Amino acid sequence: MSARAGFARMLALAAALALSAEAARAAATAPVPITGSRVGRIVTPTAGRCGVCHPTERVALESSPHAREDVRCTSCHGGDDTTTDEKRAHGGDFTGKVDRGTVPRMCARCHADEKRMRPYDLPVDQYALYQQSRHGQLLAKGDRQVAVCSDCHGAHDILAVADPASRVYPTNIPRTCGRCHGDTTLVRQRHIKNAYADYLTSVHAHQLFDLGNMRAPTCVSCHGVHGATPPDVADITKVCGRCHTTERRYFIAGPHAAKMAENNVPACIACHGNHAVEASVVTRLASNCEKCHEKGDPQVALGARMLDEYKTAQTEIDKAEKLIAEADAVPMQTEDYHARVEEARTYLREAMTAAHTVQPEVVASFTLRARSVGEEIQDELTHKFANARMSKLGLVVFWFYVLVTLGILRRYRNRRPRA
Amino acid sequence: MSTTTQDPQGGPQKPLPWHWAAVAWLEQRINLTEIFSILTSFGIVYTPVDTRRPLREAMAEIGATPLVSYARWPQVLGLLTALLFALEAVTGVLLAFYYHPTGEGAYASTEGIVRDIPLGWFIHQMHDWGAYLLIAVVVLRVVRMFWHRLYLAPREVLWVSAVMLMWVVLQLDFTGRLLPYDVTSYWSAMRGLEIVCSQPVVGPFISFVLGGHVITENVLLRSYVLHVVVLPLLYLIGIYVTFGTMRRIGLSVPAEGGDPANATTWRKHTLDFVIFQLLLFAGLVTLATLLPFRFHGPADPYSTPPGTHPAWYLLSAYTIVQYLPGPGWIAGLLLLLAGLSVPIVPLWSARNPQRLSDTRLRQGAIALFAVWCVLTLVGAFVVRK
Repeated sequence: MSARAGFARMLALAAALALSAEAARAAATAPVPITGSRVGRIVTPTAGRCGVCHPTERVALESSPHAREDVRCTSCHGGDDTTTDEKRAHGGDFTGKVDRGTVPRMCARCHADEKRMRPYDLPVDQYALYQQSRHGQLLAKGDRQVAVCSDCHGAHDILAVADPASRVYPTNIPRTCGRCHGDTTLVRQRHIKNAYADYLTSVHAHQLFDLGNMRAPTCVSCHGVHGATPPDVADITKVCGRCHTTERRYFIAGPHAAKMAENNVPACIACHGNHAVEASVVTRLASNCEKCHEKGDPQVALGARMLDEYKTAQTEIDKAEKLIAEADAVPMQTEDYHARVEEARTYLREAMTAAHTVQPEVVASFTLRARSVGEEIQDELTHKFANARMSKLGLVVFWFYVLVTLGILRRYRNRRPRA
Repeated sequence: MSTTTQDPQGGPQKPLPWHWAAVAWLEQRINLTEIFSILTSFGIVYTPVDTRRPLREAMAEIGATPLVSYARWPQVLGLLTALLFALEAVTGVLLAFYYHPTGEGAYASTEGIVRDIPLGWFIHQMHDWGAYLLIAVVVLRVVRMFWHRLYLAPREVLWVSAVMLMWVVLQLDFTGRLLPYDVTSYWSAMRGLEIVCSQPVVGPFISFVLGGHVITENVLLRSYVLHVVVLPLLYLIGIYVTFGTMRRIGLSVPAEGGDPANATTWRKHTLDFVIFQLLLFAGLVTLATLLPFRFHGPADPYSTPPGTHPAWYLLSAYTIVQYLPGPGWIAGLLLLLAGLSVPIVPLWSARNPQRLSDTRLRQGAIALFAVWCVLTLVGAFVVRK
């Protein structure tokens, strides 16, 4: 046997020894499970022995972050989790299934306690807000159908807001609210709107669900979270204006704002609807007026004028874009024109926003800019095309020289060679 | 050799003009006549050149030899294959100075050539129009040779080389069409590749050479290499074979040598050549200026624009592949057999006139051409579902 083979054998032996030592150490430091029961594996730190008889609830609770933060079965339900003897387990301060009316107060025992919530950086005002909400007010009056904490967050399987599987994750909120506000039996009984069905048809829902725009508003964006309540008529422009700031600015600058407030007309909602808000449509500039105004009124004509301004500008921009596409096919240098057409489109978009003043002259201040940019581009490109066409006249000069050269060559060809 | 020449009358020696002096200086170091004789391979000089004599004497002899009227209109197509190829080579080299054969660079660099580089548009359009004319020329040449029965002995090699030139030009067009990498070129190349790949045996081989069944950056690069190196070399070989054969077996319609009205000289012939070249160039310049080709934006492999067709010469094959029932390889086999029969059937008919008479052959060719036209029209106007 060579020296090398002997060395390899020694190495292998050393490795095997090291591995077995490692295994022994791991076995020594492993956490010792609660044993002494035939069902040891389902007796866990969070659920204690409750899970022996309530396996579904145990699994649900253990999926929640509560389980990791020492919130045990007994924290909410009381009783004794060290035994499976039903009398002892369900004795003492055992409450059984928590009564709906007491759920908010029970959750608030921890969630309104600043000292406890501080380490998690969680707010503690949810209970106070809930009491102010429509849900909380009705619950205080003894209405048992309204939402309590567990209706939205779940009972045992509560997940963090940031968890996409959570009931209160932004994309899940409409469905969570819709469990009651989209329940056709419930909304008929209580004479409330089927807000969920309306919301699903809205442009907001389209943005959220179809385009994945996480900033699109859900129910809570307008109604509040724990303090959920319908906004007052007077506050509607403020609520919508949180996102649609420019629209609100123009709306307040126009005559509609004061008159609508005077007559208690819900401002934005009057034209756009509330839950089923539509995408912005240009033709609504003219067609929406008749919702409130009589058909022959001079106010109705204002809408038609704004639409007219808009359409004229749009036509010019479209023409400019067509010319740019032609120039691109040549290809010519058009990057500058692409940027300017974008500028014109921005003016046009601003004109739509400015239409909230219902003053055609304000709209025209933007449509005129859009129009002039579109017309400038058309002028410049038409000029360039004309120049390109003119340069083709160079062909005439070219053919002149070709013909002259041909003449010379022909003469030279037919010349008699020198003797 | 001295730098002066002897006066025939034995008078005083006259110094040579400076250019002939330079030629004489060079001639002591290199055989210029041998280099000059290369021209005979490209249809510019038809008379045999005696490479042992100095250039001046050789040229004087060529100039003095009366020629039968060489290379008149019937032969113009053969000359054009060489002339247009020279034009394509020159413009192609200029384009290659700026072209990037990469996925990102191809369209951008083509656009840059046409838009930003002085006279780049001109070079590009000349290359495009030259290619169109070249295809027309090689196809017409094959048609003419078929119709005038120029495949009969001893012209079989000429016939085969003409068909090969046509094939190479179509390949050049197929690969060159892809290079701008804009929407149209990308998708027409894609359709073309579908047709090519449907052929049994040949299809897998071509897709192996090109690097895939679909157009990718690798296929682009290989198309580029085939387009600028491999296929032009094949084409040059074809031209050499054409003119080499021509010098040995003579022109197709030789003028009767005894007719002095048809007699010409090398000087006249060369000037005709220059005049013809000038006219061709002027025509191409006019086409390139008045009817330039357009661009339709960079290629997007993820969206097929509606109404994409392969190149026009593949439209009939496209129709067959599209609408022939049964498995795809049947259509491919049909195309392959049709392609192979073009050079072979006329040669076979010439050897076996009792099996396939000349009249029958012509009738068949006309019928085939009519079918081809109909299929092309169907392929062009019936939109794929």
